[in-house]
Formats: sequence, structure tokens, C-alpha cells
Amino acid sequence: MASAAQTDRAPVKTRHSALRGLSLLGLVGQSIIWILMVLIAVWEILPILWMFSTSLRLPSQSFELPPSFLPTSWDWQNYLAVLRSPQINFPLFFINSLKIGLLATVGQLLTCSMAAFAFARLRFRGRDVLFFLFLASMLVPGQVTVIPLFIIIRQLGLIDSHWSLILPALTSGFGVFLLRQYFLTLPGELIDAAKIDGAGFFRIYWGILLPLVGPGLSALGIFTFMGQWNNFFGPLLFLRSWDKLTLPIALVTLAGYMGSGSRAEILAAVMLSILPVLVAFLFGQRYVLKGIALTGLKV
Amino acid sequence: MSQSGTANVRVRVSSRLQESLSGYLFSLPAVLCLVIFMIIPIIGALALLFTEYPALEPPKWIGLANLTHLFSDNRLWTCYSNSVLITVGAVAGNNVIGLLLAMGVKRSIGKVLQYIFRTVYFFPVMTTTASLAMVWHFILTRDRGIMNWLLAQLGIAPISFLSDPQWAIRSVIMYDVWKSCGYLMVLYLAGLQSIPDTLYEAAKIDGASRWQLVRHITLPLITPTAFFCLIISSIGAFQIFDNAYVLTSGGPGDASRTIAMYIYEVGFKAFEFGYAATISLSLLIILVTLTLIQFWAGRKWVYYD
Repeated sequence: MASAAQTDRAPVKTRHSALRGLSLLGLVGQSIIWILMVLIAVWEILPILWMFSTSLRLPSQSFELPPSFLPTSWDWQNYLAVLRSPQINFPLFFINSLKIGLLATVGQLLTCSMAAFAFARLRFRGRDVLFFLFLASMLVPGQVTVIPLFIIIRQLGLIDSHWSLILPALTSGFGVFLLRQYFLTLPGELIDAAKIDGAGFFRIYWGILLPLVGPGLSALGIFTFMGQWNNFFGPLLFLRSWDKLTLPIALVTLAGYMGSGSRAEILAAVMLSILPVLVAFLFGQRYVLKGIALTGLKV
Repeated sequence: MSQSGTANVRVRVSSRLQESLSGYLFSLPAVLCLVIFMIIPIIGALALLFTEYPALEPPKWIGLANLTHLFSDNRLWTCYSNSVLITVGAVAGNNVIGLLLAMGVKRSIGKVLQYIFRTVYFFPVMTTTASLAMVWHFILTRDRGIMNWLLAQLGIAPISFLSDPQWAIRSVIMYDVWKSCGYLMVLYLAGLQSIPDTLYEAAKIDGASRWQLVRHITLPLITPTAFFCLIISSIGAFQIFDNAYVLTSGGPGDASRTIAMYIYEVGFKAFEFGYAATISLSLLIILVTLTLIQFWAGRKWVYYD
């Protein structure tokens, strides 16, 4: 904003350009952008609305055309069926997913924040090489390591155990990188002051810096949990028994078995399964978006 | 004087030593995990390259046979060309739509509208790829799927989205753009928000039109973000698995089988660990080359101030 004292003519010119913004061409351009945005918004939300409204219909009506994108009835019986049916053992799969997600998240928050603290705030020989390894690991696709990883997991006797999914997820290059960015933004005087007060490095890490990178931890926590909650490839490889399965793999397998007759129930199960992540997102949206922006822009 | 000097040095040395030691200790857990689950597997994959390893029997040294197999494997090249097609389509769709949405969201009038748009676009990113692919499978089925019903309302003949070889790949791309353009939007939005407002104001005072603002300020200054987005979205699209596995099962035939699905099939259906690891190394080489090319090309079009 130009200050009024600086120039008297500026407001006139601004008004002039604002008027020009309303020219015919500008109006057409503006409306095209708005129409596009609304159309894409509809396209993004319609499948989810359809899923929701179909999950509220009787199974026998789930094939009905024309489709309804808003609920026509509020029939929660599919949800009850999903939650109670011994065939769709939803609560069990839910707990399996939750357990793996939470353990991986706690592990990753610990290992990544410790390493990120070391890489951002401590000087030691080989530090940059180690950090580079973490950075490079972000570029290695999962499929490259999957065969040897499978062999390692098999050697450890962890096939069909949830640890086969938790252990490889205990750290990540992304997490180290993300949290290092947060640690770097903290002023160095904090550490110097703590050192003068005689604090050891563990106290500096745990008591002083960690509480200050809370937003970073929230972002990484949500990312990690989401990644594990949505993981399909890992459980497909490592889990065998029915009662060990996680939600995504169980739902896809069930949909295959049950055929299209119980589509409404499958959709209700999918709705239930994406709920926790959505709740986490609604509460942590700020951190997630900031986390994405921070890692996205400083590479 | 000199005594206190040496004492000082000693204190400094011991605190230096303490700092180094702490550095190693703090990074140890993460490094350990990285070594066991990332570095050893990469070395392992290199070793598997020279072996025939039928999963249940011990590996056998077979020299370069896997490599010769690689170059004569027609299915592999089909899968690679599928993955390239999917990558080109998904990268183009995700980035163009992501950037457009970001520009629109940034311009939205009012915080509430901005919040609603942003949340709607980002919503699919949060959902499970495999589960939502199942939902899209229902939507795209030829008979009684709602997509074909919608097309019928527009007078378009039904399309076999999932069983027509050409449409199967397009469906995989369409689903990926649906699922991830919101992620790109967030990245672009952050990039747009980092462009100082003063630049726009100055240009407006000089009488620049809206289009000129986009052409000469937004587009050049968004190139570093776009560069990063292109790299991560192409790496992501090249690895698509869940998406095609649930949506089309790679079919019809191999028409929409991605390279990731082929590695899975060779490794865990045919149990040829050695050959599967060979393919996965070829994927690594291709992705690294692709990234290097993008870095090299980036110097020509990315604007750094």
C-alpha cells in the first residue's frame, strides 16, 4: 500500500486500473476462471458425494440410475452391517490399521526429530554426507528396494506380522528433511543461552527445541499416519492371514469376494475407513499445508 | 596466563568432542533404520542382478543372464511404455490443473470461499488411493456406471472405460489427476503466495493488464515451484501401482499394466526375485536419468533471481 503522503496521483491510477479490470474481456476471462474452478470442484467432490449417498441407500437400490449425489434416504443400515458383520470384520481391520499407523508415527517422530536436530544444530564429521543419504533416499522409489526388503523381512521372520510394516516405516528421508527445515528456523541464541545455563544436548533437544517445532511434528505426524493408513502395497506383500489385514487391503479383497451385490456396504466401509484421516486433516490442516509448502519450496 | 589458555582449549576440545558424540548418537536410530531398510536393500538389489533366485530355493549365480532377458522382454517394454504414457498424461494434467486451481484459489474473494475451495480440491488427496480406486471402478463400469449414465445424458455413446485398451490407460490417468491435482495445487499455492504483492502493485501502477501480470510476473516467478512440482509428480506417476491394480488390474491384457505392477508380478507371482530386482534397478536408473535431464533442462527455463 502506497502511503497517501507519498503521491497524490496513485489512487487515481489505481481506480483507473480497477475499472479496466471490469472491461468486457476481463469479465469474460474472470467468468471462465470461475466456471472452471466450480466445475473442477464439482468433479472432485461428486464421486465422494455419490459414495456417501449410495452408502445410505438400501443395497438393492445401489445400482439405481439416475444416480443421486445427495442422500435420498438416511438409511444407516449399511454402516451397522459393516460394523457388526462377522464377514466384514471392520473393527478388527480398523484396529490393525490404527496400531500400525500409530506405532510408525511415534517411531518416525522420534527418529526423525533426533536426526534432524543433529543435522541442523550439531557439528560433527560426516554430518553432511549422512544428511545427503537421507535426501537421496527420498528419490529412491519403493519398488527398487522391495525385493531385497522382502528377503530381509523374511529372514527376520516377520512375514505376516505387523512389524513387517512398522519397522521399515520407523524413519524416512522426508521426515528428517522436513523437521530439519523447522529446526533451522529457530534462532541459534536459544542454544547458546541453554549451553551457558549448563544444559546438555539432550535437554536442549527435548526440553527447549522440540516444543518449538510442534507445527513440524504435527505435519510429519499427520503425513506419516496418513501414509500408513493408506498403504496398500506393503500389506499386499507382507500380510497373509485374514485377521492381520489392514483396512485398504481388506476392503479391496472383500469387494472382490462379495461381488457387486453388496456395493452399498463396501461404500459404507470405505466412508468409515477414510473418516479418521479426514478428522485428522480438519484439525491439522494448517500444519499439513504449511508442511507441504515448506518442503516444497526450499528444495 | 598460558595455563588458563590450555584449560580453555581443553574445555573447548572436550565440548567439541561432546558435540560430535551427541551428533552421532542423535542420528544413530534414523541412520540405523536407513541402513537396514534402504541402503542394504539397494546393495542387495545389485547383488540379485547376477542371480537366479526362485524365492524358495537359494540364489544361483547366473552372470548377466538377467540383463539379456531384460532387453528381450517384450512385456517389460509394454509396461514401460504404459508407464511413460501415464506419466506424461498425469504430469501434464496434475500440473496444469494444479496451477490453475492455485491461481484461482489465491484470487478467491474472502477467506471463507478460499478455505472452501482449497478444502474441496485437497479432499481427495487425503483419501486412500486403493479404496477410492474401488469407488471409481464402480463409477466407470460400462453398464450401470454413473459416468456412462452422465455421458448418455449428453448424448455420448457408452465407453468401456476399464476394458477398452486405450480407455483403460486414460482412466488410470484420469483417476490419478482426480486424486492428486489438489496436492499440486497446495504446492503451487505456496509458490504463488511467496511472490511479493509489491511487484503486482508496482506493475498495476505502471498500467499492466491482468494478462501481462500473469505473463511477466506470475509465470516467471512460479518456475522454481513448477520445476520442483514437475520432478516430484513425474517420479510419483512413474511408480503408480495401487491405482491401476485396483482400477483395471493392469488390463485388458497388459494394456494398463505399469512398471511397478510388472515388478510385483515378476517378483511375487512368478517368484523370480533375481529378474524382478533387475527390473527394479532399471527403473531406478531411468528415474535418476529423468531427474538429471529435468535438472539440466531446468537451467534453461527456471527463473532464479
